[in-house]
Amino acid sequence: MAEIKDKKLVVVQLSGGNDALNTVIPYNDENYYDNRPQVHIDPEKALKLDSELAMNPSMTAIKRLWDEGKVAVLNGVGYPDPNRSHFRSMDIWHTAEPTKVLTEGWIGRALRDLDPKGDNVLGGINFGRGLPRAMSCPGVPVASVGDLDTYGLFPSVSNASDRNDILNVFSQMYGRGDGRDMVSEFLSQTGEDAMVGADILSEAPAKYSSSVEYAANPLASSLRDAARVMFADVGTRFFYTQHGSFDTHGGELPVHSKLWEDVSSSIGDFMDDVREHGHAESTAILVFSEFGRRIKDNGSGTDHGSGGVAFLIGDSVKGGMYGRYPSLKQNDQLNGDLYANNDFRSLYTNILEEWFDLDPVSIVNGTFEKFDIFE
Amino acid sequence: MTDKLHKTHATYDKTIGIVNNNPLGRGFAHPVDIASKNGELFVLNKHPAFTRVGVCNYEEDYLREFGTYGHGDGQFWLPTGIAVNDEGYVFVCDEFHNNVSVFRSSGEYVRNWGKQGSDLGELDGPSNIALSGNGNLFVVDQNNHRVQEFSTDGEFVNSLGEFGHGNGQLNQPWGIAIGKDGSIFVSDWGNDRIQQFDPAGEYVAIYGGPEENNGSLHRPSKPAVDRDGYVYVSDWGNESVKIYSPSGEHVQSLRGEATLSVWAQEFLDANPDESSQRDISDLMPELPDHFDTPYLISTQIESYFWGPSSVIIGEDGRLYVVESSRHRIQIYNVS
Amino acid sequence: MVTTENKIEQRSMMAHLMRRAGFGATQKELDTLETLDYEDVVDELLKPGQSNHMSDELILRYHTEVHEQRVGPWSAKQWLYRMVTTDTPIVEKIALFWHGIFATGYAKTNQARALMVQIDMFRKYGLGKFDILLEELAKDPAMIIWLDNQDNHKGAINENFGREILELFSMGIGNYTEDDIKECSRAFTGWTLKNAEYMSVRAMKDSIWPYGRISWHYEYRDSDHDSGPKTFLGETGNFNGGDIVGIISKQRAAAEFISRHLYDFFVADEVPVPQWPYTPPRDPEAIKLLSDVYIANNHDLTEVLRVLLKSDFFREARFERVKCPVEYVAGCLRVSNIVERPTLLMNDAVSVMEYMGQSLLNPPSVEGWHEGKEWINSGSIVERVNFAYDVWHNSESPEVKDVTDRLASRGTLDSLDAVEECLDFMGPLLFTEETAKQAIVDHVAKQGVIKFGDQNSDVREKAENRISEILALIASSKEYQRC
Repeated sequence: MAEIKDKKLVVVQLSGGNDALNTVIPYNDENYYDNRPQVHIDPEKALKLDSELAMNPSMTAIKRLWDEGKVAVLNGVGYPDPNRSHFRSMDIWHTAEPTKVLTEGWIGRALRDLDPKGDNVLGGINFGRGLPRAMSCPGVPVASVGDLDTYGLFPSVSNASDRNDILNVFSQMYGRGDGRDMVSEFLSQTGEDAMVGADILSEAPAKYSSSVEYAANPLASSLRDAARVMFADVGTRFFYTQHGSFDTHGGELPVHSKLWEDVSSSIGDFMDDVREHGHAESTAILVFSEFGRRIKDNGSGTDHGSGGVAFLIGDSVKGGMYGRYPSLKQNDQLNGDLYANNDFRSLYTNILEEWFDLDPVSIVNGTFEKFDIFE
Repeated sequence: MTDKLHKTHATYDKTIGIVNNNPLGRGFAHPVDIASKNGELFVLNKHPAFTRVGVCNYEEDYLREFGTYGHGDGQFWLPTGIAVNDEGYVFVCDEFHNNVSVFRSSGEYVRNWGKQGSDLGELDGPSNIALSGNGNLFVVDQNNHRVQEFSTDGEFVNSLGEFGHGNGQLNQPWGIAIGKDGSIFVSDWGNDRIQQFDPAGEYVAIYGGPEENNGSLHRPSKPAVDRDGYVYVSDWGNESVKIYSPSGEHVQSLRGEATLSVWAQEFLDANPDESSQRDISDLMPELPDHFDTPYLISTQIESYFWGPSSVIIGEDGRLYVVESSRHRIQIYNVS
Repeated sequence: MVTTENKIEQRSMMAHLMRRAGFGATQKELDTLETLDYEDVVDELLKPGQSNHMSDELILRYHTEVHEQRVGPWSAKQWLYRMVTTDTPIVEKIALFWHGIFATGYAKTNQARALMVQIDMFRKYGLGKFDILLEELAKDPAMIIWLDNQDNHKGAINENFGREILELFSMGIGNYTEDDIKECSRAFTGWTLKNAEYMSVRAMKDSIWPYGRISWHYEYRDSDHDSGPKTFLGETGNFNGGDIVGIISKQRAAAEFISRHLYDFFVADEVPVPQWPYTPPRDPEAIKLLSDVYIANNHDLTEVLRVLLKSDFFREARFERVKCPVEYVAGCLRVSNIVERPTLLMNDAVSVMEYMGQSLLNPPSVEGWHEGKEWINSGSIVERVNFAYDVWHNSESPEVKDVTDRLASRGTLDSLDAVEECLDFMGPLLFTEETAKQAIVDHVAKQGVIKFGDQNSDVREKAENRISEILALIASSKEYQRC
């Protein structure tokens, strides 16, 4: 009998505001072409999903997964009173709170609920440097791995034996002893956690063996790092990555196309890898962006708007369309933007409750509509 | 006989450009220099990550672009100067790579040359580049406080200038222009003046200088000279452009008076929430006293020059002023 | 008489003072400082003269984007250059202090130039009278947009600024009522910026079109000002904002709140600010003393800081603070003296502060950052240790060379002496756990004693390398995280 694995979520953040209209395209809607004279996708090239909607031509791998029924497309995602400032809107997605500024993230809270004592220092990993607010929660350890192969302390010491010596020194400097005070004790504990985490992670690359060749782009590298950590079975539940910049105010068509080529091929490769290693059924991938873009183009690109598209991808996901595709008709617009009708906190609620078996209400600051998105 | 103060030597024509914060596409991303050849304008962008050469024209058609951010062939890290010769070769100098890259005007990369150092023929922070009448290149070697002449293949020919504040000496020079007769004009940035050298490299004259008067300069970025010998200077530290007669007399100052370019208008048309507010705003307001430097004033008044990094006299005889912090080019007609 | 012991203590005291009132001092700077009287040094510090920082023009010419300062990190870079190269670091420390309290963030203002104008205002008014500082703050356009004061109208008030000026910027919860907040807000109606509506829609959309940002300045709209009678903190009058800040500044609650903040930033880490209403200060006597000075000197912040810096509780509070990322990075760069001309290394330095958890000019909310031990977590400790190690493991650093030269006069050094000398240079730092020091000593001993040779010799170069490694290891320690 196949081992039942803990459920995992991989988050791919599209930074900058992904243009939903050119991602999931209303290719039969006249309004689309009227509003996007310079910045529209050729309907001949778009990848048809059904009679109304098609995907950007660069999204071939995701289309393949759609055909297998493994892609949930969430149309018109957003939140009331949309904010069109990058930082603020991204913070809203990270903290699940549109009306006030919070510093605890939904993933940080989820990790706290999953592992209240913080026993596992690798429960949540950001594949990038710095700590995304989504994963921030007091007391919750998070590792930020810019590059798995060089991750850890003293990466600039290239000689392995020297580095080992220095790590030993570090370990003794941070070792528990008669620390002078509480802060010293805390520093010791944290230093140790960091070493333990780095130690465990340093073994992941050696354990990895795969037939999948990942595409050559930074997101693919991050997802490959995530895969290597996942297959090392160190107990990580949340894997966070980002790609960008999707802030296509100018030169949108070639830039957006390349970005989706990166994202789609990376996700395709990652899914192949996860399937090869038996983690497919326990892994779901969330793809989101902080807002969509304006309905009308500006001659070369598009400006900040609202109402985006999100994706949930995985072998345990019920593929299909979720949420209503926002109407492009003049009267249905929100000041020139798409009217979001699908609160992103619903999606979080589904993930937290159905996938992670957690109580979502305290994590997303409220109760939101659920829909059947997992098998 | 002194020249008359000719207040309308240059009159404003129009503005082209718009800011672009993407790796591709029309618009400018910290434009620092420009070259004019065969009806095309080659604009050099220095934005980290979005650096490139954007080719457009007076009519504001965006024709093509080339060069990307990186350390490989055909890539820039901190590009500072551009020149295009009659054969259609484009030369770009880079102050991080300490080299000169050569492209065809189509954008096809050809080669690069240059090496860091202070010996003759070596470069330390090349900040601008110009073509001389004999087809050679003059490169301003900023941190070596000199100007060096090379063949287009990078063979060292000659060096002029050395560190100092006296005649013929330079202090962190920035931009360069070559006159019709082969005179060499260098913006002697750290000495707040333009120095003119004859084709043999001998000191001839100074324009500007730091003394307090209307014609004074502060950290000028680049000179340009027209067929009549008038000298135009992008006075970077004063956020203005100063014009001198051939005898060195200051005849006009420009502060900038940008209007909406075609691309700018298209943006505003697509964003009525912004344009409606812009239309009822006072974009030339009086400022509180503590905004008392040209820089601070230019941050507040959008039509003024902000970061005028280069001026040229185009092939069409017009004055082009490139603003690195406003991502546009203001164009003036010259009498 | 100045004994050797006195001198060591004096030097150590000066190093402590310069870490707190600045970003640390080099050995050469300490050579001068240790000969001076401590109280005189404090008095001189509080009369900052010429800053002689690295020319902004040089920086703006090299980093063309810093000329525009479109986004937070570009402005942060200019500020970091200032911190690292200024002769008057106390001015930058004070600006950083107020930046953490009057926390205004790029995330919402989307206007980095205006944030730098605010920082300049802190430089100018940060050590003056508190009421003047508060009034400048209320007129600061970045603050206005940050707390929506452009939406605060006669007859339709917006309480955001009115609340925060009381709760977070002057007195703290429990020292005013909801009515006070409303009256305060009424008094600040009309305090807006020029072209407020256009600027505000641009801020909301993060607009840089068509020609980049347009910076902001204050405008007072008399027609929008509610000039009616108000009752605020027990006083009644037709108060305008200037009157309000005058009333606030006189309050004992303001004296205590600001004193506690000064203590927290300059003396020793307190608990996070949200806990202050429920947790007494760690040194109530100190807060009382500082509050008395505040009141006696008409809320003159220089006088409060003077008493603080000269006090015993300050002098004895060695290493009682965890360095915030800005202090950490600026300190490493400044003391190692490696920033001699504009360099792209500063791009990395700005990013790494963000990875350590402090995005300069972009605090996570108006509450600022959670400081003290909250800077430390398993992610940030890796960034901190790696950064400090790399900065110090650099034999080209003028400071490393200077330290090596000083040690060279001792002849040959065994590893224990070398490590102890380096611990003095870096602090002086005291490792309470013997095992910690021994670990470094044993590591150094593997390569034998350190020989110095002559100036510019190969032997000297090798010594510089070895000394830089010791300094780098010390910089990776727990103790170095504190100041």
